[in-house]
Amino acid sequence: MQPEKPVHLSTRLTSFAVALTMALAALGLRLWQLQVLQGDYYAQLADTNRLRIHHVAAPRGLVLDRRGTPLVLNRPAFSVSILPMELREPTRVLPDLARVLGISKEELWSRWERARSRPFEPVRVRRDVSMRVVTLLEERREELRGVQVEAEPVRVYPFGAAAAHVLGYLGEVSADELEALRPRGYRAGDLIGKAGVERSYDTVLRGDDGEQVVEVDVAGRPLRVLREQPGRPGNTLVLSLDWELQEEAERQLRGWSGAVVAMDPRTGEVLVMASSPSFDPNAFSVGISERQWRQLVQDRRNPLLNRATAAAVEPGSVFKVVTGLAALQEGRAGPASRFVCTGSLRLDRWVFRDLQAHGVVDFTTGVAQSCNVMFWMLGRSLGPERLATYARRLGFGQPTGVDLPLEATGVIPDADYKQRTWREPWYPGDTLNMAIGQGFVLVTPIQVARALSAVANGGLLVQPRLARAVLSPEGQVVRTFSPTVQGRVEFSPSALKALRRGLEAVVERGTGQAARVEGLRVAGKTGSAETPRGRPHAWFAGYAPAEDPRIVVVVLVEHGYRGGLNAAPIARAVLSRWWEGQRAGRREAGWAAR
Amino acid sequence: MGSALTADLRAARRRLRHVDWVLVACTLALVAVGTAAIASATATPEQPLGLLRPRLAHVAVGLAVLAGLAAVPYRSLGEAWRVLYGLSLALLALTDLVGRTALGAQRWLALGPVSLQPSELAKLGLVVTLAWFLSRRKEPPTRLPDLLPCLMLAGPPVLLVFLQPDLGSALAFVAVLLAMLWAAGVPRGQLAGLVAGGLLVSPLVWPLLKPYQRTRLLVFLDPGLDPLGAGYNLIQSKIAIGSGGLWGKGLFAGTQNTLQFLPMQHTDFVFSVIGEELGFVGAVGVLLLFWVFLLRVLQVASSARDAFGSYLCVGVAGLVAFHVLVNVGMTVGLAPATGIPLPFLSYGGTALVTHLAGVGLVLSVAVRRPKILF
Repeated sequence: MQPEKPVHLSTRLTSFAVALTMALAALGLRLWQLQVLQGDYYAQLADTNRLRIHHVAAPRGLVLDRRGTPLVLNRPAFSVSILPMELREPTRVLPDLARVLGISKEELWSRWERARSRPFEPVRVRRDVSMRVVTLLEERREELRGVQVEAEPVRVYPFGAAAAHVLGYLGEVSADELEALRPRGYRAGDLIGKAGVERSYDTVLRGDDGEQVVEVDVAGRPLRVLREQPGRPGNTLVLSLDWELQEEAERQLRGWSGAVVAMDPRTGEVLVMASSPSFDPNAFSVGISERQWRQLVQDRRNPLLNRATAAAVEPGSVFKVVTGLAALQEGRAGPASRFVCTGSLRLDRWVFRDLQAHGVVDFTTGVAQSCNVMFWMLGRSLGPERLATYARRLGFGQPTGVDLPLEATGVIPDADYKQRTWREPWYPGDTLNMAIGQGFVLVTPIQVARALSAVANGGLLVQPRLARAVLSPEGQVVRTFSPTVQGRVEFSPSALKALRRGLEAVVERGTGQAARVEGLRVAGKTGSAETPRGRPHAWFAGYAPAEDPRIVVVVLVEHGYRGGLNAAPIARAVLSRWWEGQRAGRREAGWAAR
Repeated sequence: MGSALTADLRAARRRLRHVDWVLVACTLALVAVGTAAIASATATPEQPLGLLRPRLAHVAVGLAVLAGLAAVPYRSLGEAWRVLYGLSLALLALTDLVGRTALGAQRWLALGPVSLQPSELAKLGLVVTLAWFLSRRKEPPTRLPDLLPCLMLAGPPVLLVFLQPDLGSALAFVAVLLAMLWAAGVPRGQLAGLVAGGLLVSPLVWPLLKPYQRTRLLVFLDPGLDPLGAGYNLIQSKIAIGSGGLWGKGLFAGTQNTLQFLPMQHTDFVFSVIGEELGFVGAVGVLLLFWVFLLRVLQVASSARDAFGSYLCVGVAGLVAFHVLVNVGMTVGLAPATGIPLPFLSYGGTALVTHLAGVGLVLSVAVRRPKILF
């Protein structure tokens, strides 16, 4: 009844066993490959799964004026970012998030698209969200996987547009910048100084972000902090600005396009740097909108331009300081020289006309009255090369090296320049124009301030500087800045004396009387620079006290018509403010007294 | 009376001596490792031992069934093949009609608080049926008409399971059939022809597959196809196993497991938990246990007193081997995701009881062997 076992059974079972053994051995080899040979690789992948590095944004450093007035601060706030690797359902989450944040779906989507190539780096999509949004997002954390809320301070400029060109503003680091800065710890979406001292001292102001290594589960819920490295706020930057003077200058410039620069001729410390029209840097702190940005850039008055350093214009009669100095130094004029001003000068076939005939003038009166005929004669006698040489010695035609980005160079023309730029030879008339700061001469207010400082301090070309000191977040002095002498102008004492007397006469009895300050001897030079673009620019460049100069003030009012009329009064306001302070013996508290 | 009692005792003692204790030890060791891995895979702060309690209940039921089947003379099961086969088909048909749906397939029958997975039971039903059927023949089935009855017996359960749809289990039936035909002495050429025929037919099956099944097969070929979607499980499983390294991260300490990056970590991917937490040593240890287990089952098969016993053992060996190779192959990225549990280790009552019952059958054959072979 019981059937026999089949004959092949044992051989068949043996081959079955062999096949099984080989199959299991193959699995064992595969395990060896995964676990032993590639174990480290997979361990790393497992760590990427579970570890999140949270960056704890460190606040940027403060910016103070020389007395400790805070000019740039931070305010606690929250930012929303997305972590691409955890955003599993972008088609559902992103539109939802866009609605909550009140931004456009398309913008959010394109931000995410750009971020996908670096899935482990969170990308900020909105800064400074309201507490309502923070609560809403935290409540819906489960639904909105891949969306993060992080504390990130927001930059605040409490004085708004005042000194905005000096302070600058922040913007998201661009792809190009990031390439260079990544090794220094910058990450995509970081804010970086884009203008002003925010940019030139970015590395000083920037803090070191803290880092938290957090273990998360598959839903991205943080479970525990494995390692923590606290961040460090950025250093404080103390500027040489005197905020009282700055505000006075801003007030005076209101309604005009122009700039005011004041500096200490002995040290190069910039006390005032105002440029008008201005803009509100707060708009950039949370990411400026496309529309706002377009408005700023397309504004014909160019509010983003720092007219104190980045725009070179015709100096007009202010340039007579150069011509006068050259003439005195070269012996073409002396304190006792007399000139006959008929109101015009004939040069070959052309007649150069001045506004009025000053009659017989000495050098001092010629400066005081800004007599064009006298300076034409001096210029004709000096020739263009000497004029250019003196101008360059006084620092024109070269950037001053002020610690701000994007400085203009200006132009000191010569025959070569004219040939290159205009394809025309240098005519004698060009020399006459140059002697009174017209024609091709272009200067920036900061260059004028440096040149006049050299006249005021006896010949030192000092580098204008805004930074005064760097303090640690705890208030310890980390670094101070000492004056940098860039060159020395060799004045003969008599030439310098004669020039200064002329400049004093300008304010005493000449074109610059509107700059007079009770009890303070002010010296200076006005200018009304003709420009092809409209009414002449009004200039005033002066220093005080004349006997021991401690402040240089340069005012440029674009299309302000006459320097004596619209620029000198602004200088007067700034100087009398300064003088009040000096008389009150106001202590420069600032960082040193803290 | 007395002599009858002593005769019974002597028979019982002889049977106990015939029990393959190595086989039993391997089985218990695998069950134990699985239980530990399940506890680790399902532990939560609120329930530090996870699903340990229900797992132990499954183990208890399974061991009871094992012991019971070992005691029953296996030939009586063969004689009842019609009942077993009929019951299997009935349950499968019922499942297709009123079964509980989970994970996109209708695989469970709810029986009060317990849910039953009839496809698991049917696997064993088919083993008994085919073993009985093959052992009734004097000659090995060499010609195609001889094979036809076997194919017709295997066909209905395969179809019913395929319709659930459960491609993996359907293939398990096919694997069992092939293993038993091989043992029954079907010529290589015929078996090869059968397999080739099946492969030729398989493109016809493609349109019948659910979209998720097609994705699984495609993703197996290229897991990078959809790393956050269908390929996710396979990638995470490889990460879990690979990151375990040589010695593992320690039980309850695998990050892929405890932080839930590993999906289905107590059922289909329990081997990944072992790989992660017990390392290469633990994972290869499990494979060695299976290897010894399977060799012992085949040993029993070759020493069984009759062909039916041999075929039963081969069927069980084929069943377990298929599950191990496909499941472990899936977790290490060598086989597609098919939802096949790992015998003795995966969480799941019906599967555990079925596999332990299979061991019971093998033991029943073992204790009734004519003589000890070692």
